[in-house]
Amino acid sequence: MNDLMNLEEAGRLIAAGAVCCVAGDEAAMRQLPRGAWIGGSIPYFMAPAGGLVAHDKVFVTTLPDSAQLQYLSADEVDQVVAGGPEHGYSVMIVPAGSRAHSRFAQDASTSADALMKPTVGWVSGVHLSELATTKPVVFDGRTGQAHDDGIVVARVTLPDDRLAMVEITNIFEGDDGDVLRFETGGFEASEVLINGERCNFAEYLQARGNADGKLPLVGDFGGASLNASVRQVDVAGGHVTLYAPVFPGIDYRLARPVADYVATFRQRAGERSSEGLVFSCNCVLNFLYGNFEGQSLGATPTGPVTFGEIGYQLLNQTLVSLRVV
Amino acid sequence: MSLPPPNHPCWKRLLSGGGARLKTDQLALQLLCSRLERSDAPVERRISELMAFFTRFERILPREIAQLVTL
Repeated sequence: MNDLMNLEEAGRLIAAGAVCCVAGDEAAMRQLPRGAWIGGSIPYFMAPAGGLVAHDKVFVTTLPDSAQLQYLSADEVDQVVAGGPEHGYSVMIVPAGSRAHSRFAQDASTSADALMKPTVGWVSGVHLSELATTKPVVFDGRTGQAHDDGIVVARVTLPDDRLAMVEITNIFEGDDGDVLRFETGGFEASEVLINGERCNFAEYLQARGNADGKLPLVGDFGGASLNASVRQVDVAGGHVTLYAPVFPGIDYRLARPVADYVATFRQRAGERSSEGLVFSCNCVLNFLYGNFEGQSLGATPTGPVTFGEIGYQLLNQTLVSLRVV
Repeated sequence: MSLPPPNHPCWKRLLSGGGARLKTDQLALQLLCSRLERSDAPVERRISELMAFFTRFERILPREIAQLVTL
């Protein structure tokens, strides 16, 4: 089940013993009963009727009853992969801006096991009007405790004849212009190599007309286009902050502008099979820049709209889905 | 379709630019090729990782396995 529902419905599911991943506004989540669930704060959702902001509803993804739940501290981030089932998948939630968020983003892709043990999930957030005043949290429903750091994770072991597949829908592709490389990885960069020539990154983005950061960087990861979205371009201070880390050795390009965000999303997501869909989430930057509120995306999977998506590693401006086939 | 043996040249080709020629939309495989191409681990270990991945996910990679020897 993947469904947006009111608190009473969610409470009944939990009380009946369902194992769930839950997304919702923090105040709503605090009203849920204790039980076999993990959750994260976020008031943005994609529902069948379209995108919406809701403070009195939660999005519930049910998992098999055999799923095992865990809370990992920021010092145990390596256990997301190391503790994953040998044959199955993990669903994780981490608070935006936390130490665990940063550590997972920078380290997850280096683990040799990361791609053998599929992990999906999302980064919890807050209403954008509360960014300066409220911390995103994750919930361990077994204790009812909220954490502003660490990771909650659900482990699902699959039968031998089933496989978990992580898929992404990214409407962005790199343009045909400059190739950007970074000598050091991370969420911040001052310098960038543009076609091999060292430049100030903030000045470059401003010159390319992307000082508002609406176009992400698109990295080429073995043919997969993965975004690092631009958080802030500080031309005076000479540096750029990003919502996902950049990595040395990866060729990045600035994304080509998308003429019709919603139509492109509908088309790209519609090309994906929904057979065996378990979980999906979308990015709050897509929600904002694509004006998704009130707009249906057709066959696009529904789910929480998040401050970052996880498909093996931290992703930005991407729809992530997990299917079991 | 069975996997080529570890000493087949396709594995080294996959680790040295062949990944870019592989037609796939399997995110995990793309990430794996990207990471192993950038890795300085011994080639035998990288080939072993590749083969382990193909072995585990063989059922959903028939199109990719068919391409291996043609890369």
